[in-house]
Amino acid sequence: MAVAQKTDQDTLVEALINIAGEQDVVTGRVAMYAYGYDATLLFGVPRAVVFPESTQEVVDIVNYCRATGVNIVPRGAGTNESGGTIPVDNCIIMNCCRMKKVLEVDLDNYVAIIEPGVVNYDIQEMLAKYGYYYPPDPASYKASTMGGNVGECSGGPKCFKYGVTRDYIYGMEFVTSDGKVRWVGGRDFCSEPFYDLTRIMCGSEGTLGYMTKFAIRIEPIPAAKRTMLAFYNEPVDAAQSVADIVAAGIVPTTLEMMDNLIINTAEDATGAGLPRDAGAMLIIEVDGPAYGDLDDQVKTITEVVKKAKPKQFKIATTAAEVDACWLARRVAIGSVAHRAPSYSMQDITVPRSKFPQAVAGIVQTSKDYDLDIGILAHAGDGNFHPLVLFDQRNKEQSERVHKAEAALVKMALDLGGTMSGEHGVGLLKKPLLPNEYEPVTMGAFRNIKRAFDPINRMNPTKIFDL
Amino acid sequence: MSQIVEQLKSVLGAENVVTKDMAKYLRGGEQPAAVVCPGTGEDVAAIVKAAAEAGVKVNVGGRVVETAGLAGGIAVVTQRMNQILEIDKDNLTCWVQPGMLHKDFCDSLLKEGLYFPPEPYAVGTSSVAGCFGVGDPDSKSFRYMPPRTYIIAYEMVLPTGETMKIGTKCIKCVSGLDLIHFISGTRATLGILTKILTKLLPAPVCKSAVVADLPNISAAAKAFLAIQKRRLFVVRENAITAKLGQNILSGAKGAVAFVDIEEFPKANVEYAKIVEAELKIAGATTTKIITDPKEYAATELGWLKAREAVNLNANKVRFTVGASNVVKGLDAAQGVVGPLNENEFTLIEAQLGKITVATANPDADAVKLNNAAMKLGGNVSGLLGSKLRCDEYSDTAMFDSITQLLHNIRKEFDPKGILAPGVKF
Repeated sequence: MAVAQKTDQDTLVEALINIAGEQDVVTGRVAMYAYGYDATLLFGVPRAVVFPESTQEVVDIVNYCRATGVNIVPRGAGTNESGGTIPVDNCIIMNCCRMKKVLEVDLDNYVAIIEPGVVNYDIQEMLAKYGYYYPPDPASYKASTMGGNVGECSGGPKCFKYGVTRDYIYGMEFVTSDGKVRWVGGRDFCSEPFYDLTRIMCGSEGTLGYMTKFAIRIEPIPAAKRTMLAFYNEPVDAAQSVADIVAAGIVPTTLEMMDNLIINTAEDATGAGLPRDAGAMLIIEVDGPAYGDLDDQVKTITEVVKKAKPKQFKIATTAAEVDACWLARRVAIGSVAHRAPSYSMQDITVPRSKFPQAVAGIVQTSKDYDLDIGILAHAGDGNFHPLVLFDQRNKEQSERVHKAEAALVKMALDLGGTMSGEHGVGLLKKPLLPNEYEPVTMGAFRNIKRAFDPINRMNPTKIFDL
Repeated sequence: MSQIVEQLKSVLGAENVVTKDMAKYLRGGEQPAAVVCPGTGEDVAAIVKAAAEAGVKVNVGGRVVETAGLAGGIAVVTQRMNQILEIDKDNLTCWVQPGMLHKDFCDSLLKEGLYFPPEPYAVGTSSVAGCFGVGDPDSKSFRYMPPRTYIIAYEMVLPTGETMKIGTKCIKCVSGLDLIHFISGTRATLGILTKILTKLLPAPVCKSAVVADLPNISAAAKAFLAIQKRRLFVVRENAITAKLGQNILSGAKGAVAFVDIEEFPKANVEYAKIVEAELKIAGATTTKIITDPKEYAATELGWLKAREAVNLNANKVRFTVGASNVVKGLDAAQGVVGPLNENEFTLIEAQLGKITVATANPDADAVKLNNAAMKLGGNVSGLLGSKLRCDEYSDTAMFDSITQLLHNIRKEFDPKGILAPGVKF
């Protein structure tokens, strides 16, 4: 009787099962489909998906992959907008979702130790019970994992005042392609081992190593906050209010803007009573100690906003009104599905003073390529999310979308900005990266990659080629 | 060697190449071949390129250059590159040259209603580039984050002599690997900064401070813990033993507490009252709330002088224990270095959970203090702390792998090993 020879694939699967257990390895084509895409329209097929549950399992998988020449693509919940978790040639997906333990919460010392599969929302919920929180809260925070947040250095609505993910990671444990485990940083700002290895890992999109634990900075929830909502005739009026608020010495927690198209799709979705003829909507939030200063800030902001002649201006006085202010923003991205089956979302960022020119540039791009483009923006950061609406089944339209994406990036760079404020580069923006950086800087990126992963095993071909 | 000195004279002008009476520019026992004072980024690129070709070591400083490993090398003093190039109030950014004195930079910005929170490492000599080169998280970091947060773009001459540019006026950027913030703390091992774009904040609407004389530093730590338990987060909660504390509060006998408050007006008043009350409960014999801007500036300068004295003293150990464990950390320190009030200095930066103690035996005491700190969830700071932590776990492989990574990075950028020769991993 002929005995079937084991294929490379059989050997790989067997090895992964030996390391992680059968329940933590997925190889069926249908089951793997869910791990082949992310929030972009890109798609790929891995050889297997494995869910390690410990650092040792990660080490064993990395060692096996190094010995057999298999690439490793890290993945959390797959909410990224850059193609960073799309499978590449001859790769396994190493998914962190089952490393989801909160190992320690030390409220008195403002630190928590967590595994990468912890969902951002879950740690927020846990901390909120004690009156604490973890400030970075990307729009995907209900689903996205902390591993993904750190890998992409996620932003969110509170960045203007509180910073981004990198600012809240005290230290981390990671495994590099040589199978070595390193804990760098500590439980404070002072423990990096000379070079700030924690910072270079943040936002490296899994290209330098696989992160297995984090020490995150947590903070008490501010004692008080005030939320305001303004509707304007034109986005440029909202931009003026943003500039004036900052010039008044106020650093709001949030300055979120939506344009007319998004106001209307959000209204379609919620029926919240948003004025459909408004050109722009701005959510303004301030927080701080509860000694009455916030009321003074609200007065200042009210005067500043009135200078821009808003159509409406509301100050939320109850939690329900605060929720109402945020409802439209929360549904904004999903709401465009009412208009088109597909969307492309950029995260171009420009200096705040260039906000009006960037709005004009997006409008012009919409005209130039005959595409509907809605604008969402973290206005305080100059960080735009132009949502290009289209139908990916329409090839001609899809090609126009790609041209429009490149035009938007060019516009941001011409205004002294960057192609990515918070989503990362991944595969999607990789071809455009040399437009932002000179060869010397690209060479410096490669220096770092070679220092960490000289065999180019960790998420290869992402961000740049080695 | 004389060949490269002559070459640099032709590039920079003989008046900017010093080969005699170099002492005022140098710190350390070794003697470089020359001190050079570039005026532009192009000058720096020419210096480094010439040094790389000749295989000559280079180190850099704003006013003073560390000479360890620099015998026969080139000391680059950036004091001529000392200008603010652009203040952009709309975007809250500032382009500045590397050699501007850190304190002058902060003062110039305050006059424009702008705020650069990081503090000088050594108020008399530290430059803006030094702030980021050292990257030391100062005592305002709990509120404002460490210095790395405030560099958002730069130009840097690499060890090859090439100039690298990175960053924009945007406070958010995840395009490519984060070499922007990573550069903080690299101590010129990867390149020499020639132009820096800093992030700024609007100047605080209101500034005040509370200073107090307490019987000892543990009493101050207890007061700070009480303040934290009330969920009142000020800008800093520092205390330092009396000898250096004189800089802040003349006539102090025990330990001087220095608490900064930067809130909007109403909160500022309330916070100051609460802080003063807690310091009195902890036994303060003298307290003072400072609101007058001139008096505040003088008090802050006193603190910066004390900070300078601590930072420039090699005989010390710095460790962290977490904000809630500072009292216990001080007890442990007393067990190692003896009575803290009699010590040359003991400094606590309570919100950061950071303790710095003077000691005649820093190497030996660091081991003991790290052991004590680890029991409280902390460790000695920096690379030494990483080593001691690994030693404590008998995990030399971990430390070896960390230093291997540091070497890999440095070698990728500086294969000939010419920059910052005194920095050893």
